[in-house]
Amino acid sequence: MKKSDTPVKIRSNVEDMVRKTMKDFVDKEVIPIAREYDEQAKFPDHLFKQLGDMGLFGIRYPRDAGGSGGNTTLYCIAMQELARGLMSLGATVAMQCLMATNGLYLYGTPELHERYLYPALKGEKKGAFQLTEPDAGSDLKAVSTRATRTADGWVINGMKTWATSGPRADFHTVLCQTDPSKGLKGLGFFLVPSDTPGFSFSKPFDLLGTRSSSISEIYFSDCHIPAHHHLGQEGQGLSVLLKILAEIRIMTASLALGLHRAAMDDSVQYCKQRTAFGQPIGNYQLIQAKIANMAVNLEAGQLMVDKVTHLIDNGRSCLNEASMAKYFTVESACAAADEATRIFGGYAYSMEYSVQRYYRDNRFLLYGGGTHEVLQTTIGREILSK
Amino acid sequence: MKLVVLVKQVPNTTRVKLDPKTGNLIREGLESIVNPDDLHALEAALGIKEETGGTVTALSMGPPQAVDALTQAIGMGADKGILLCDRAFAGADTWATSLTLSRAIRKLGEVDLIICGHQAIDGDTAQIGPQVADWLGLAQATYVKEIEHLTPADPDKPGKPGEIIVKRRLENGVERLACQLPALVTVIKELNQPRYAHMERLITACTDKADILVWNAADIGVNTCDVGLEGSNTHVIKTFTPNFKRQKEILEGSRQEVVAELFDRLKKSDTTLSGKFQGRPS
Ligand SMILES: Cc1cc2nc3c(=O)[nH]c(=O)nc-3n(C[C@H](O)[C@H](O)[C@H](O)COP(=O)(O)OP(=O)(O)OC[C@H]3O[C@@H](n4cnc5c(N)ncnc54)[C@H](O)[C@@H]3O)c2cc1C
Ligand SMILES: Cc1cc2nc3c(=O)[nH]c(=O)nc-3n(C[C@H](O)[C@H](O)[C@H](O)COP(=O)(O)OP(=O)(O)OC[C@H]3O[C@@H](n4cnc5c(N)ncnc54)[C@H](O)[C@@H]3O)c2cc1C
Repeated sequence: MKKSDTPVKIRSNVEDMVRKTMKDFVDKEVIPIAREYDEQAKFPDHLFKQLGDMGLFGIRYPRDAGGSGGNTTLYCIAMQELARGLMSLGATVAMQCLMATNGLYLYGTPELHERYLYPALKGEKKGAFQLTEPDAGSDLKAVSTRATRTADGWVINGMKTWATSGPRADFHTVLCQTDPSKGLKGLGFFLVPSDTPGFSFSKPFDLLGTRSSSISEIYFSDCHIPAHHHLGQEGQGLSVLLKILAEIRIMTASLALGLHRAAMDDSVQYCKQRTAFGQPIGNYQLIQAKIANMAVNLEAGQLMVDKVTHLIDNGRSCLNEASMAKYFTVESACAAADEATRIFGGYAYSMEYSVQRYYRDNRFLLYGGGTHEVLQTTIGREILSK
Repeated sequence: MKLVVLVKQVPNTTRVKLDPKTGNLIREGLESIVNPDDLHALEAALGIKEETGGTVTALSMGPPQAVDALTQAIGMGADKGILLCDRAFAGADTWATSLTLSRAIRKLGEVDLIICGHQAIDGDTAQIGPQVADWLGLAQATYVKEIEHLTPADPDKPGKPGEIIVKRRLENGVERLACQLPALVTVIKELNQPRYAHMERLITACTDKADILVWNAADIGVNTCDVGLEGSNTHVIKTFTPNFKRQKEILEGSRQEVVAELFDRLKKSDTTLSGKFQGRPS
């Protein structure tokens, strides 16, 4: 009898395994409830908890920080799958994994990690991330929420808006101005727990898309927080943001890929089922052209996203590539959702089919992570500057 | 408790296509998944481990890519995986498959409980569990829908074996059964709700740190002529998809005539609409 000559070592591909696991989760748990939760503008808390139990929120953090030891590539794969099922869930989870927790991870004290980071990574606490104000959207220099030093910490005063999960979060990473005379160099991030006296929020907004998300205005009225709640060094807010800006954009691109995939999958299925003039509509070349464009853009977008996530994981700077990927994938997903509403004919106009939801939900990605007017400007400027 | 779970990687479809020439499954282009029943087997084992302690070993026979089934098992909480992978195992029928699996289990040493799925969605025979139990001379309970009670063997009382009490789903009822350990059970979906893999475990399971071994025929001490195609006692002569052609007939006449004719025909035929067909409408 022959012994095998080499000790064979066989291992699975980690990217495939994460995608497979998340795909299975989305097919079984998310897609069946997506319509109901969207219609009732309810957030699927039970799924958020389940994803916490699965260690998803720690996917891009190292194990010694309570994370799952993954990276940006795996994070973005998971976001693609979640957005394929329900954009509101994808967007909220994406925030929990990155913007709402990264400042805390990098600059939080061990006590803050115990109280907020570890529970957040388990899904026991929810975080929100607040840049936008009524008079400061794309223009962060205009941020006017004020952090003023006190004897033993800071006091926060001002107002934020469009805060995803704002009304439901346990803690908030808030961009504040510490010294108005310094403009962008006066910005800093502060951790404000929701139980801080003086913290309040408005009624959640009535939204066009991502209706399961909970978004509102947030008010800070003499919110006193301890000194160590200042995340990072004074005046370093912008650089804290810049550290993850490429990742925020590629995450947004990943959400777009997921929605694009959903619009395409539904369209392909419908093309095979629906007949007109005695044939499945997929036999008509004009319909084939729509499917072809969806598929080509999806493939191209996937390659752009994969390139950027691998650059990030290798510690390379790639902000412009990330901006390009975000701009391209979100525009492509908007086009795919639009084409899907044409392929479905009049049925696209009924709330019974998901394509109307894709059409509405994707529009949120046009603004979050940078508007496309701003992105086109920065991409062009960067290229011309060389 | 030392628990072993048999997991099979299967194509993710219930509409399996067969190669008309060889009669084998066409696996190309199909995504692979863990056989659905086996996820319930894993969940059961993990639940027992959490309650009584012990180890869970996932065992699979299949091609190199079947390692994904073991990675998922470890991601869910299994301690280790063993892949039985050898060209000699290819083309096995259920006899050869169960022989191979049982030899590997024997190599694992003393085992308290073997849990497998009731049935694989591709092969569909539901024979592997019972056959493995037979090769190993173990008590078996199939179609298990509930594990009511499990008492591990008490090391302080040698000679007193552990016991498992299960409920089996029968066609028209439920059977309660007690088996001495070691035993083998095959489980059905009703048993539990399988968990999803935990990201940290899953990610680690894809690295060199994962406890996944690959065993070939020599490793488990079988002759290559006893396993795989050569060791199979059955031989597939032909596999085909039954061709049910819809027989269409269009009844002609006035609406009343057509409806009366239709009801007469249905009555004469064996066709059951919902329950027994009774009478004509007024
Ligand atoms: C569903 C949803 C969720 C959100 N969640 C969050 C959140 O959790 N946290 C948060 O902080 N924010 C959030 N936002 C806000 C989002 O980040 C902002 O909408 C975005 O930054 C754009 O700001 P604005 O809406 O004020 O638009 P503005 O900046 O006022 O822009 C208005 C228009 O002017 C254009 N424009 C602006 N500047 C330029 C320029 N320099 N050149 C050319 N054109 C320009 C823009 O492209 C746009 O067309 C959310 C938004 C939505 C819709
Ligand atoms: C003559 C013949 C030739 C065949 N040739 C081929 C071939 O060339 N290629 C091919 O792919 N198939 C072939 N098969 C099918 C193959 O034998 C069966 O798929 C296999 O024996 C398992 O049977 P089953 O799928 O019916 O499993 P079941 O008995 O329905 O499965 C029950 C449970 O047993 C366990 N189990 C089953 N199989 C495995 C496994 N491999 N590893 C771990 N646990 C397992 C699982 O827990 C599963 O839930 C052949 C079958 C015959 C009869």
